[in-house]
Amino acid sequence: MPETLCCVCDKERAVKMIGQRPFCEAHYRAATYERSGLWRSLLIQIVVMAVFVGLVYLGVEIIKPVFTATSLLVTGLVLAFVPAAIWLAFFYQQDRVEPDPKGYVLGVFALGALLASAVGLPLVDNVFRVSQWLYADTLTTILGSILVVGFIQEFLKYAAVRYSIYSSPEFDEATDGVIYATAAGLGYATVLNLQFVLASGGVDLTVGVMRMVVVALAQASFAGITGYFLGRAKFESEPIWWMPLGITLAAVGNGLFTWLRGRLVQGGLSLSGAAANPWLGLLLAAVVAFVTLSLVLYLVRRNIRAALAAPQGDIA
Amino acid sequence: MTALPAARRARSLGDRFAEVSVPLVTVLALLLGWVLKTSVEARSIAFAAEGITAQAPAGWLRTTGGETERLRVTDPASTGFGTTYVIETRPVAEGTTTAQYTSLLTLARGQTLTAYRVLDQQPVTVNGRAGYKLTFVYVESNPDLTHEDLPHVVRGVEFIFVSGSRAVLVAYHADEPAYEADYGRFRQFLNSVNF
Repeated sequence: MPETLCCVCDKERAVKMIGQRPFCEAHYRAATYERSGLWRSLLIQIVVMAVFVGLVYLGVEIIKPVFTATSLLVTGLVLAFVPAAIWLAFFYQQDRVEPDPKGYVLGVFALGALLASAVGLPLVDNVFRVSQWLYADTLTTILGSILVVGFIQEFLKYAAVRYSIYSSPEFDEATDGVIYATAAGLGYATVLNLQFVLASGGVDLTVGVMRMVVVALAQASFAGITGYFLGRAKFESEPIWWMPLGITLAAVGNGLFTWLRGRLVQGGLSLSGAAANPWLGLLLAAVVAFVTLSLVLYLVRRNIRAALAAPQGDIA
Repeated sequence: MTALPAARRARSLGDRFAEVSVPLVTVLALLLGWVLKTSVEARSIAFAAEGITAQAPAGWLRTTGGETERLRVTDPASTGFGTTYVIETRPVAEGTTTAQYTSLLTLARGQTLTAYRVLDQQPVTVNGRAGYKLTFVYVESNPDLTHEDLPHVVRGVEFIFVSGSRAVLVAYHADEPAYEADYGRFRQFLNSVNF
C-alpha cells in the first residue's frame, strides 16, 4: 500500500483527510485553524483609513499648506503608499499569533504592483483605451467595467498569488488565500494611485487622498473574493468551474463598484457648478469593503467548522 | 513503502484545471470586451450636406470651422490635440487635375499652419474614386496666451478628390502619439463618405 503525502508540503506522510485531500498533522492543524483577530482587524483598518482621510482633510483646512509643483507631486506620491501601509501594518498587529512571513506578504504585494504596472495599466489604457469608449452609455459602462477592467485586474491579482506563494508550504491555511490576494490587491491599488498622482502632476490633497483610500479598499475587497476561492481550491475538493466562478464574481463586483461609484461621486451639474461628492464614494467603498471581506471571512470560518464537523477520515 | 508521486496527490479538479480554465475565462471576457469596444466605436450618426453624405462617429463634438468646412467633428475623449475629422469643399477651376490642386493646397496649408511639412503624397483610389493622399505634420498654434501647456505636434492625412468644379477634402488630424492607433477608425469614416 503506497504512502500518501500531505497535499500542502508534499513531504510529510498524510494522517488526516479533509474531503478527498490528505494532510499531515501540522498542515491539518493549519488548514483548520480559525483566526479570530481578522474580523476586528478588518473593522479597525477601515476605521483607521477613514480617520486618515479625516486627518488629511482637517490638516488641509486648518494649516492651508502652500505647495510648489514639486512638493505637491512628492506629497501625493508619499500619500499613495499610505492606505496599503495602514492595511499591512494592522494586519501584522492582529496576526501575531500565527503570522505569515512578512517577506512573502510583501513579495505578493510587490508582485501585484509589478503586474499592474507592466500588464494591467498598459492593457486597460493603451490596448483597450477604455477612456475613449467606456462612458458612452450606462450599459457600456457596466459591461466594459466588468469584461475589461474587472477581468484584467482580478486575473492579475489571482496570478500574483496562484503562480507564486500558492504552491508553497507557507500557503497552509484557508485564510491565507484571502490574506495574500488582499496583499496583491493593495499592490495593484498602490500602482493605480501612483499613476493617478503622476498623471495629474500632484493631486488636491483632500479629494486625492479620498480617492486613494477608495481605490485601496475596493481593490483589497475584490481580491478577497478571489482569495477565498483560491483558499478553498487548495484545501478542499472543488469542481472544475470553481476558480473561474471566483474570478468572475470578483470581476463583476469590481465592475459594478466602478459604475456605482461613478454614479455616486459624479453628481450632476447645478447653477453653482458641478456637484461632485467624493465622500459618498468613500462611504460606498468602506461599506463594500466591510461587507465583502466580512462575508469572505465568515465563509472561510464556516467551511473550517464544516470540515471539522464532518466524519474525519484518518489515514491508516 | 513507496511515496506517491506529486502528480498523483489528491488535487481537486478545480485546483488542477484552474491553470487552464481561469486564463480561458479571462481571455473569453476580454474578447467580449473587445467586441463591445469595437461596436461602441463603430456607432455613427448620418451626415448630409451639399450632396455629400457620411457616417460620423456618434458622441463626437461637432464644431464649426471655416467657410469651406461642411463637417468638423472632434473626439471629446482624446487627449492633447483632439482627434478631428474634417470634410471640406472648395471651388476649383475647370480642368484642374487632382495633382495640380494638391500642390496648390500644400502651398496654402504651409502659409496657415505652423511648421507644416508634407511627409508623403501619392495617388490613391478610394471606393473606386481617384484622388490624392497627402500625409502631413504641423504644430498646433493656439493664439491663447493664457495656455500654459506646450504646443502639440499634430499628424494628419488628407484625401483630395476633384469632382467637376469642386474639390472634396476629407482630413484626419490627431495628436502625434495617437495618430497610428486612431487611423483605422478614420478609414471607416473615409469609406462612408459619398458624393
